[in-house]
Amino acid sequence: MKKPVLALAWLVLAAIGVVGVYQRLTTGHELAAYGSYIPWGLWVASYIYFIGLSAGAFLLSAVVYIGQVKLLKPLGPLALFTALCTLIMALVSIWFDLGHMFRAWEVMLRPNFRSMMAWMVWLYTAYFGLLTVETVLAMVEPTRPWVKLSGPRGAIARALTRIPVPTAQVWVRRLALIGVPLAIAFHGGVGALFGTVGAQPFWHSSLVPILFLTGALVSGAALLLAIYWLVWPKRDEQFKATTRLLSQILLGLLCFDIILEWAEFSIPLWNSNSQEVAVFAAITTGPYWWNFWIVHLLLGTLIPLGLLLTQRKRPAALALAGALIALTFLSVRLNIVIPPLTFPQIQGLQEAYVSPHLQFNYLPSSFEWMIVAFVVALGSAVFAIGTAVLPLLPSTDPGDGDVAKEARHV
Amino acid sequence: MSEQLPTTKKTDPDVASDKPQAGLNRRQFMAASAVTGGVAAVALHQATRSGNALAGTAGASAGTYPLAKPEHVIHSVCLQCHNSCPIKCKVYDGVLAKIDGNPYGPQTMLPHMPMETSPAEAALVDGKLCPKGQAGIQTLYDPYRIKTVLKRAGKRGENKWVSVPFDQAIAELVNGGKLFSSVPGEADRVVPGLKETWKARDASVMKAMSGDAKAVAKGSMSIADFKAAHAAHLDLLIDPDHPDLGTVNNQFCFLAGRIEHGRKEFAKRFVNGGFGSVNWFEHTTVCEQSHHIAYNQSTVPYKGQGKWGKGKHHLKPDSLNSEFIIYFGTSPFEANFGPTNMTERIVEGISNNRMRIVVVDPRAHHTASKAWKWLALRPGTDAAVALAMAKVMMDEGRFDKTFLENANRKAAKADGELCWSTAPWLVRLDDSGQPVAYLRATDVGMEAEDSFVVSRNTELSAFTPEGDSPAEGDLFVQGELNGIKYISALSLYRAEADKHSVSEWCDLAGVDEDDLIEVARELTRHGKAAAVEMYRGVVQHTSGFYNGLAVIMLNVLLGNADWQGGMMKGGGHWHEDGSKHGPFNIVKGMHPGKLAAFGLKVNREGVHFEDTTLFTGQYPAKRPFYPFTGSLYQEVLPSSAMGYPYALKALMLHKGTPVYSVPGGQAMMAYVSDPERLPLFFACDVTVGETSMYCDYIFPDTAIWERWGTPHQSPDVAVTGSKLRQPVVAPFADTCTVFGVEQPINMESIMLAIAEKLSLPGFGKGGFAEGGDFLHGEDWYLRLAANLAKGDKPGQELPQADAEEHRIFLAARGHLPTAVFDEKRWKAAVGEKWWLRVITLLNRGGRFQAADKGWKPPYIAHAYKGQFNCFSEPVAMARNSMSGKHFSGVAHYEPPLDCAGTPVEQGNHELALITNKDILGGHSRTIGNYWTQTYCRPQNHVIVAASDATALGLHDGQEVRVVSRSNPAGVWDLLNGQTKDMVGQVKVSQLIRPGTVGVSWHYGHWANGARDIVIDGTVVPGERRRGKGLCTNAALMLDPVLGDVCLTDPIGGSTSFYDTRVSLVPV
Amino acid sequence: MNRTDANIGENILERMRADLKRALDKPVEDRRWAMAIDLEKCVGCNACTVSCIAENALPPGVVYRPVTEEVVGEYPHARLRWLPRPCMQCEEPPCVNVCPVSATWRRPDGIVVIDYDACIGCRYCIVSCPYQARTFDFGEEHTDLSAHPGQPYEIHRPAFENGVERQRIPHSDKSPVGNARKCTYCVNRLEAGMLPSCTNTCIGGATYFGDLSDSHALIAELAGSPRVMHLKEELGTSPRTFYLS
Ligand SMILES: Nc1nc2c(c(=O)[nH]1)N[C@H]1C(S)=C(S)[C@@H](COP(=O)(O)OP(=O)(O)OC[C@H]3O[C@@H](n4cnc5c(=O)[nH]c(N)nc54)[C@H](O)[C@@H]3O)O[C@H]1N2
Ligand SMILES: Nc1nc2c(c(=O)[nH]1)N[C@H]1C(S)=C(S)[C@@H](COP(=O)(O)OP(=O)(O)OC[C@H]3O[C@@H](n4cnc5c(=O)[nH]c(N)nc54)[C@H](O)[C@@H]3O)O[C@H]1N2
Ligand code: SF4
Ligand code: SF4
Ligand code: SF4
Ligand code: SF4
Ligand code: SF4
Ligand SMILES: [Mo]
Repeated sequence: MKKPVLALAWLVLAAIGVVGVYQRLTTGHELAAYGSYIPWGLWVASYIYFIGLSAGAFLLSAVVYIGQVKLLKPLGPLALFTALCTLIMALVSIWFDLGHMFRAWEVMLRPNFRSMMAWMVWLYTAYFGLLTVETVLAMVEPTRPWVKLSGPRGAIARALTRIPVPTAQVWVRRLALIGVPLAIAFHGGVGALFGTVGAQPFWHSSLVPILFLTGALVSGAALLLAIYWLVWPKRDEQFKATTRLLSQILLGLLCFDIILEWAEFSIPLWNSNSQEVAVFAAITTGPYWWNFWIVHLLLGTLIPLGLLLTQRKRPAALALAGALIALTFLSVRLNIVIPPLTFPQIQGLQEAYVSPHLQFNYLPSSFEWMIVAFVVALGSAVFAIGTAVLPLLPSTDPGDGDVAKEARHV
Repeated sequence: MSEQLPTTKKTDPDVASDKPQAGLNRRQFMAASAVTGGVAAVALHQATRSGNALAGTAGASAGTYPLAKPEHVIHSVCLQCHNSCPIKCKVYDGVLAKIDGNPYGPQTMLPHMPMETSPAEAALVDGKLCPKGQAGIQTLYDPYRIKTVLKRAGKRGENKWVSVPFDQAIAELVNGGKLFSSVPGEADRVVPGLKETWKARDASVMKAMSGDAKAVAKGSMSIADFKAAHAAHLDLLIDPDHPDLGTVNNQFCFLAGRIEHGRKEFAKRFVNGGFGSVNWFEHTTVCEQSHHIAYNQSTVPYKGQGKWGKGKHHLKPDSLNSEFIIYFGTSPFEANFGPTNMTERIVEGISNNRMRIVVVDPRAHHTASKAWKWLALRPGTDAAVALAMAKVMMDEGRFDKTFLENANRKAAKADGELCWSTAPWLVRLDDSGQPVAYLRATDVGMEAEDSFVVSRNTELSAFTPEGDSPAEGDLFVQGELNGIKYISALSLYRAEADKHSVSEWCDLAGVDEDDLIEVARELTRHGKAAAVEMYRGVVQHTSGFYNGLAVIMLNVLLGNADWQGGMMKGGGHWHEDGSKHGPFNIVKGMHPGKLAAFGLKVNREGVHFEDTTLFTGQYPAKRPFYPFTGSLYQEVLPSSAMGYPYALKALMLHKGTPVYSVPGGQAMMAYVSDPERLPLFFACDVTVGETSMYCDYIFPDTAIWERWGTPHQSPDVAVTGSKLRQPVVAPFADTCTVFGVEQPINMESIMLAIAEKLSLPGFGKGGFAEGGDFLHGEDWYLRLAANLAKGDKPGQELPQADAEEHRIFLAARGHLPTAVFDEKRWKAAVGEKWWLRVITLLNRGGRFQAADKGWKPPYIAHAYKGQFNCFSEPVAMARNSMSGKHFSGVAHYEPPLDCAGTPVEQGNHELALITNKDILGGHSRTIGNYWTQTYCRPQNHVIVAASDATALGLHDGQEVRVVSRSNPAGVWDLLNGQTKDMVGQVKVSQLIRPGTVGVSWHYGHWANGARDIVIDGTVVPGERRRGKGLCTNAALMLDPVLGDVCLTDPIGGSTSFYDTRVSLVPV
Repeated sequence: MNRTDANIGENILERMRADLKRALDKPVEDRRWAMAIDLEKCVGCNACTVSCIAENALPPGVVYRPVTEEVVGEYPHARLRWLPRPCMQCEEPPCVNVCPVSATWRRPDGIVVIDYDACIGCRYCIVSCPYQARTFDFGEEHTDLSAHPGQPYEIHRPAFENGVERQRIPHSDKSPVGNARKCTYCVNRLEAGMLPSCTNTCIGGATYFGDLSDSHALIAELAGSPRVMHLKEELGTSPRTFYLS
């Protein structure tokens, strides 16, 4: 894709997003389509989607730093930074979702540790910290060659000179090690946030936190694959091999996820817990059946599966599979959050008191999409800046070619 | 945004505290309650959990609940529906914050608190109140309320308005002229002002003419003689050849929805005694008038010389003591009079196994859901059901023989009965066997003047109802003496019941025979503690009167009147008109120069065709006459449109919306929108309503919570009670200055202002003669209040308010502007002597007898102690003015008939259309109550039985158009270029009789904020949510003979709501 | 029926107010507030729904006591049945555990309250309530503010919920806008010696309120009825609001 096209697309997205944010700040939640019966909507789904991407990307980066897989090693910083970007996107999404955005810090001041949400916030705060530190440390070694450069790169490199390279290397590994359980904990926590809600049988299953984790891994790996293909400057053999390796990991995760999803759906179907069956029916035959069958199953699962199985030699096709999975995972997240909420907890509630925010059906409003647009614009901007000023990618710029080459031990 | 619509300005605290306040202002109050609220605050502080004090959320005012203080309470009376429940209004910072039931009121608390309870104690107790009453806040603060006088700036109905000053509007009304010269087509139209219509101004001249006009009508004076006698004043008459039409003054007409006591008498004083017009109307025939007339005819006492007096209009079951009640065509949990008071008494009885109820209604409504049995009759067959039950009872001897055999008071007394009936009275039959009149003793050669006859063991004896000797007679007798055929009155009823077998009746009514027999037997198993209640569903038919009689007769068979658990007339009220020795007798002596309005009312009610000069010995009349009814709403406009008996020149519409609420009301639109035919048309309304939008001028009115009134209790309440409506908050509408006094613009000030301009007698300085000046609406109501404070008998005076009560009284009114409240002025109106007693009354929103005073076991304390007529002599002696045939005096079943008595043809429409009231809606005027109308019930539906839906291929949510023979297009044509479709969403239901379609009332608006209007060039946008659903009145059958008015009960006058067949056309 | 006596009705409201007074004399932690709703007496009038809205100045979409309606049976035996649903004031309230900021808790007298000034509006409690007894305040008003100014009853009249005087500012994020909201058993009224608004106004006399720990209280009497029913008992929430079916 051409840069100006991308820039234009970004500008449009950002403009839409800014309007959304303005509306959010001036009219609160009024324009949102969710209500009190379906209190969580697109933003919560985006949140768990982005946070899943982040966790997934992070776990892969951990594989790089801990496992020292040669082929994946160059991906380390990119994966870490992707995790950071998507985390920011997740946090911004959920921040807009709060009724009182400017009271978010209350979770720090008066946490209730019986609440999964409090745990989650504390854990991702810790994760955020860890991720930031790890990213910084991961930059120490590769930026060393830039110390003499002028401009932001040089400045960054110089700022990092205080940290000795070996220390950084050691700590990156250590943090990756610490990060793995943390990422599992916090993303499992996100799953638990749903799983512990006894009022919602569909969520209330021990499988849910696991599903969240595998989901995170699948979507994170898929995203990385797509991003890798998209931004990696060097299309050499190693590139192909890496793509293949990534795609294989993705394939494995995807299969595992499919099995889990099957288990999650089929078990309750056997044992006729009426609400779960009803929710499943709503997902598959309700007004948004296409979201399951077409978006999730066809575009998000079967086509990528086919691509991953049959197109091993074509990085573009594999990347497409990754992109499809990563993008459509939002629909998986929506399908977790929304359908169970479309059933009244007390029969007749749907007619007892009627108001636009007391509905048992939900289709995100344009306003909600605008906020998501903002989040995406923000995330991609941070990512773009990151790739521009940080040593995330091997350089193709002949000017600093050697330095960069050296820097990345290629 | 238009100037017309409310801003929050008037309730701005700063504005409110601008003027010195008699009571505590908000800040002072907060300071006070910071002290008194201490206990609560401590309690709240204790409410902590792991360091999280609720008080932490509370801030400085933790635990404040000012609404628990009497200084924030003004008791008044609701009118969201016509039940008029006593209410407790809580005001905070000048804003009506909450409406609850008044704990002093017997309708809103069971049993109610004694009058002695202090306001502070009462402040802690909220009575119950139906949802509409509570939603009154949203009627008060409806964004569509009008603030100033609106004058038409476009064609009638075009909804273009300009606001004009009150004084200008009054001057234009009075003087007339080219008032609408800027409206296309009306450049040269000269509007006749009220001063032209107010022609006869001399009370004595009118009095003389009135007597002679009556003589002419009766035939005892010739027209020529009349003309000679009144040669100088013939110009005062509408038509000197028909002096009984009365004076030109009658061409001014006042037409109201259900205007209530207090306002009623006020408006009558203005229209009748002030303006000298007979044409004062309210709306009861659209409501339930035939029920009143059926009760009235069932209870009219014999006055002697062939004359019958005035009967009771209403009896209700003593549901607190009943063991069994059948509800015909009414849902006391949703409508009737009314849910607030009736529900708990019934529900308590059912839940304690004291009582069982049965519902006879084509729909299973909320009440039916608690019923032992639901008889889903075919609409219009109540008489069939009642006669079938009566037949079971009579055939099986299940009736109170002892009671029924008593023919007069003396005999009743001997049996411990307070009432008696004409069941054993003999009725004379004509040669064809038709009942003519009660047999008089003289008819059969007995020498007893003005006496009736009973037969005991074939022995005839004469008696009078109030005579000294007890009279008892056999119930089922007939015979002949000296060629005079006679039959007992009860036999007449039995003959009607015997016209069919029970199973035939059940087939006709579509009810299960076993069920019906079981119900009839159960009804008779509880002695006197059983009752049969009916309301609109029974009587809003062309056969309404007879249906009503048939149902009332079931009670007569039980002999339950005045017995605990039976039927009662209710505790009634103290007389606010002062007629019972009140300090201010407004009925007599307080109206100097009062005009003697006379003549035929424009709707020909209350008079026999034969007693008018319009009768030439020929039938039919051009339009029917209605000798037995009043408040004949639907006939006013069509009669004037036809000019029979005459056309109106000016019409004042008040709180009524005939084009919308009356069946076939759309037929009136052509008339009201034509200024050539109705030259001057003005209204007093709170919004631009469905009918007032056709007016030339709309004056704002004070809303229920801003105005006065003295509504009466329904007979559902066993104790005496007088309710007092009083201003609770500052009026939203502008004020005006009349007789030099600033006052709110409302019905009262409009009338006072017209009176001032025209110098009508009985208003202004010395308007009350010795009783003082009549300058402000409150001058009237405060005097009524003083009458109530005094009571009907010496010794009934309310106590004087003590200093504390006086303080609370003032504190609670601190937010009221002087145009509404000024202690000096109020005190002056009633005088020092009554003032403190009036405060006691006002502090309680009326006066109510102690809760246990309603019964004198085994009787009802406020007993009727009168007669029940099984045969209505006055009705039987009268003729239908269209067919010339005699009416029947006996309850019987008949199908829907037109005004000439011919069965109505409806084409190939097969579904019976019925309508009902929803607990959440109060007529057409609650659409702005978003709490109830938008959130609890956003629209009404077309309710279709499941089996019909299957047959017709209809499903839930499908849109259908309601069409009928009278309205094949299924639309309201608003005649302003707009239409309103009679289209609604289907709701498939198990709760309705197959073959029947139900559409509830109060949705389907096109005015009242539902559509855009233009005021002063600015569009006031309407709201979609206010126009949702449908009103099916435009589908209801027009009388095929008249074509311009709905089918009507010729005796009771009720409009027919449930006799129309419709089809549903999917759209 | 005893004909020497007249039934004038039993004033359950006054009886319950006396019960309430006794309870207020006790320390708060000794009170066990509970509500009973007799479904046989409920006539589905919505008076309670509306009184609660008026009492607490609730905006559109916020409802503490909806009344559900259900048709049972088929013509001609079909009937309506209603279920008013205030907060259950669970003894084991799932809504409380989930709140990340402890903005909602169970008072010692059993009432589950929300501190609107602490609530961050995450709505976790809303999805966690098995009775959907919590609704979110979206900041709307009944009046269509695009066409008219807000009316005094909605923007000028403060609410006294929880004993806190609070004026609504529509379209703002000033609490309670942006908060989860719920029935408080009218705790502010209780503390002032008044029964909950829905109890007072119930035209069917179907709603009872009082202190369960007081064996003389009417509510305690009802709690022993064989007709007692709890909603979703299986979830272990132990509702304080119970039904008589
Ligand atoms: N909620 C509410 N209450 C009100 C009012 C209000 O506007 N809203 N208005 C007040 C006024 S003015 C009045 S007049 C009263 C009216 O009080 P009701 O008479 O109780 O009220 P409606 O709903 O008009 O009653 C009509 C009933 O008759 C049934 N019906 C229809 N056709 C037939 C029939 O042929 N036979 C029988 N047996 N039943 C039939 C309908 O299904 C319906 O249930 O309500 C008063 N109370
Ligand atoms: N389909 C159908 N139609 C019915 C019925 C039904 O059950 N079904 N019921 C019938 C019955 S029982 C009745 S009683 C009638 C009632 O019918 P009406 O008495 O004719 O009309 P309302 O609906 O009471 O309202 C009349 C108008 O008064 C105005 N208004 C409201 N409040 C005030 C006020 O405070 N002051 C003034 N000056 N004006 C005000 C409003 O513009 C409103 O449109 O309807 C009848 N129509
Ligand atoms: S029944 Fe309801 S609407 Fe009618 S007067 Fe009473 S409280 Fe008002
Ligand atoms: S009903 Fe819902 S809101 Fe109320 S206490 Fe129980 S869980 Fe919490
Ligand atoms: S919405 Fe408020 S009360 Fe509910 S869980 Fe979130 S912070 Fe707590
Ligand atoms: S107790 Fe109070 S807050 Fe709860 S539903 Fe009843 S009125 Fe509403
Ligand atoms: S007020 Fe009482 S009768 Fe009416 S719906 Fe509520 S609980 Fe039922
Ligand atoms: Mo009526």
